[in-house]
Amino acid sequence: MTGAFPRSEALVELTRAAARGKVSENELEDGFRKEVLQLVMLQTEAEIDSVVDGQLNWQDLFRPFSEILTGIRPGSLTRWFDNNTFYRKPTIVEKVRYGGGSLDRYFRHNLLPKDRPRRAVLPGPYTFALLSQNIAYQSFEDLIDDLAHALRDVATKLKIAGYQYLQFNDPSICVSEPSQDQLAAVRQAYEVLAKGMDAKTVLHTYFGDAGSIIEFALDLPTDSIGIDFYATSVDSLSEHDFTKELECGCLDARNSLLETPDGLKKLIVRIQDAVRPKGISVATNCDLDFLPYGVAARKLNLLATAKKIEDG
Amino acid sequence: MNRLFPVQDIGSLPKAPWLISYLRGRKPERAELDHLAKWSKLIGFEAEREVETILSEQKTPSTEKRLREFGSLFAVRFLESAGLDYVYDGEENRIEMYEHPIRHSDGFEFYGHVRSFDDRYYRKAACVRKVGFRDAYHLDEFKYVKQIAKRRIKVPVTGPYTLAEWSFNEYYQDRLSRDYDDPRKLKLDAKRDFLLDIAKEIIRPNLRSLVEAGAEWVQIDEPAVSTKPAEVPFFVEAFNECTSGLNCKLSVHVCFSDYRLLYPHILDLRNCSQLALEFANRGQSITLAYEQLNLLNEFDDEREVGLGVADVHVDDIETPEQVRDRINYAVKTLGNAERIFVNPDCGLRTRSWDVAYRKLCNITRGAALARNKIS
Repeated sequence: MTGAFPRSEALVELTRAAARGKVSENELEDGFRKEVLQLVMLQTEAEIDSVVDGQLNWQDLFRPFSEILTGIRPGSLTRWFDNNTFYRKPTIVEKVRYGGGSLDRYFRHNLLPKDRPRRAVLPGPYTFALLSQNIAYQSFEDLIDDLAHALRDVATKLKIAGYQYLQFNDPSICVSEPSQDQLAAVRQAYEVLAKGMDAKTVLHTYFGDAGSIIEFALDLPTDSIGIDFYATSVDSLSEHDFTKELECGCLDARNSLLETPDGLKKLIVRIQDAVRPKGISVATNCDLDFLPYGVAARKLNLLATAKKIEDG
Repeated sequence: MNRLFPVQDIGSLPKAPWLISYLRGRKPERAELDHLAKWSKLIGFEAEREVETILSEQKTPSTEKRLREFGSLFAVRFLESAGLDYVYDGEENRIEMYEHPIRHSDGFEFYGHVRSFDDRYYRKAACVRKVGFRDAYHLDEFKYVKQIAKRRIKVPVTGPYTLAEWSFNEYYQDRLSRDYDDPRKLKLDAKRDFLLDIAKEIIRPNLRSLVEAGAEWVQIDEPAVSTKPAEVPFFVEAFNECTSGLNCKLSVHVCFSDYRLLYPHILDLRNCSQLALEFANRGQSITLAYEQLNLLNEFDDEREVGLGVADVHVDDIETPEQVRDRINYAVKTLGNAERIFVNPDCGLRTRSWDVAYRKLCNITRGAALARNKIS
């Protein structure tokens, strides 16, 4: 799983009631905790290799970091790429850094099983910087550098807390056509983030064609790359020496249509043959929270099917 | 309507609180009855006593129908009282702009909620069969408004692209899946098939029913149109598919979008005489907020413009002078006052009745100031 999971219908009602002031913060928190445990069970049943907490109380990919890091305020509502979903544009008002505060509110490692690898999801520094409104830094490069250092500090703390996978969601890398200067800054940022990190690091790209940046991405110091094969041409990857693990986004998390085993097999075999990655794991192309809960749960089960195909 | 800068609504208003209570089977609270009394007096709502009577009675299908009509009447009088030249009924009896048409059409199933942002959600449907016309879902509403309105009418209708973009596409994608190796191409082609079927099978018969019943102007609402820039030509194709040959004025409303993404494709919209666009939300600097008006000049687009002069996402009330200045800026940019209609950026349903009314009143005052300046 790539990270965020939708809220159940019961949790939808609970959050609505909380927004109207009809339930207490404790009741809401209890609802979130129960649902994380439920999601863990679903992942266990589907034999998911690395377990996530579903980011159920995250209002968007950046919002927790306006609490965790200094210098960031949530700003105006803005469309989240090409979706009918919106995020609050982070406004960078002063120097960004991590002061060492608790991460437990947004990273629920205490609720994840200890006998399975745990995966934490963080925003990638390029997407974070690009989608923010910067009124504090002189240059984009300075901002991305500070974000990378702050995220590294958070990631280090998460590693100590027991996360074995640290995934950086950086869709803008393959959506926004970064300039050469920006690419240099991204490279530097991932050197800060991933180098020497004693955990599996993942650059997750989605919503865009990863073919356009694959050579650059393969050169970054992460262990794996996640690719959205509903936005990327398989053939565009075939001419590269794919020296990393591929997290193969072969299930479409933006359509409720359930993939058939035959269709999945065809796609996975085609990807394996064309890309020939160092290793492969199957995944959704992006977060499942674009789907209603019941459909997302069925897609989660399909991941188990896809895994058997990949293993077989 | 010959005067300059006609004032129009875009569509939605808040729902009347007494109507919501009634439909949910609750007795109206004191505050809701006070709301009814206050606004009835202010806007000249002639059915206050009848509404009170219905609210005090047992709910039956006939009283529900009547109260729903009074909801429409209330909104029409509200808009007329604020001085608008073109009115509708605030979409008082539509669930909302997406769910209402989908629930009245064939081929869809609702699976549950998806998040829009924060703790806001919407019910998203999946297309599971070929889409089809079930009923003319705006016809009764239009006939009633036509009967009661004292001003001219513009009917807002959610457009095919927005319905397709906000739905999951199962049927059309599954139908093509065996013929495609590339999931990207499959999704794109299936989207086009889905969209064109919505245009042909759902929107077109609905528009035809409205025109046959006497609608003179229909506004196609397409807030999703720039979500996927590569699909803007599909939107144009779908608009032309559902509107060709219809004998009425047609316009398009788009908001919160980069309008540059629409050009040059929207020059191919046939039979579309106005673009109603959001601008006021884009900041206090007129030059920056209204900068994309220049696109019409750049592309020789000579259609009317529905100029968004009031931000629907804030409670601050634009002054008549601010509205006048925004209109004047548009006149200067387009060089033709006769092409300019004036409206809020979008529907006002997220504002309170009080804020909505004050905004609309100041729009009409601002339009009058701009008119005086020209004359």
